[in-house]
Amino acid sequence: MSAWPRPDFSEIDLVDPFEIHVGPAYQQGVPGSRRFAFRVDGRHVNRRGVLHGGMLLTFADLSLGAAAWDMTDRAPCVTLGMQTQFLKPARLGDIVEVQPHLMRRTRALLFLRGDFMVDDEAIFTATSVWKLLGQD
Amino acid sequence: MPSLTNDRPSGLPEGAEEVSVAAFARYVGPIWRLPDGEDGALKRYAFRVAEKHMNSAGSAHGGMLMMLADTAMSQTSRLESGAKSCATVSLNCDFVGPGRLGDLIEARVRVTRKSRTIVFLSAELVASGRVVLVATGLWKIVFEP
Repeated sequence: MSAWPRPDFSEIDLVDPFEIHVGPAYQQGVPGSRRFAFRVDGRHVNRRGVLHGGMLLTFADLSLGAAAWDMTDRAPCVTLGMQTQFLKPARLGDIVEVQPHLMRRTRALLFLRGDFMVDDEAIFTATSVWKLLGQD
Repeated sequence: MPSLTNDRPSGLPEGAEEVSVAAFARYVGPIWRLPDGEDGALKRYAFRVAEKHMNSAGSAHGGMLMMLADTAMSQTSRLESGAKSCATVSLNCDFVGPGRLGDLIEARVRVTRKSRTIVFLSAELVASGRVVLVATGLWKIVFEP
């Protein structure tokens, strides 16, 4: 097993209590093109040693939300919806990585997607729509 | 009878039982199964929003809401199919309104269709009669090799 965190990743200074509870999470790169990652530990798995869907969903909200924040110069925004597909199980010790992509931005909405990878293989994919508060 | 947790919140209906037994569910839980509604057609699950479930905007974190939806719909898939295990294939969630600190958030799950291999489900998460989240999803029945 490779050492984690890799030297090119740094720990994210999480703010939301729920993210602090399930974290840590890590980042690489500059705002606007950040990559995000976490390591599956003993808290995140079910009784078969498989990563729980709830942790992936939380990490998707965390990482796509952080990307949305980067892309709006930290304007307040909320998730309107998230659509997800579970492609393959991840396991204890796996490093899950994502580089969120902005698909489209309007005055009021951001459309994002992310493919979540373990060892360069997609295990989970998510799209989400974010609303910039106060914009119509 | 499964044992009830000691920190069972007041206002939880009689017959509630903890379902968060595995590591992650226990770590973010407790999550309870509540007695069925509508003559068994409605499966009900809930958690009480605590400090650890919050975001910095003062609402329940979307990740925990999706966690409840996933747990409630996975368990319902298992119950309805009789399978030992069901795997989430897809889950789509709309965040309709915020959950607040202290809310009992209840997931109301319905089976839309059940085939030999797939269970189609929908769920509504409500807090004090307010809809917080609506979800649809697909679960694959896992057949033992």
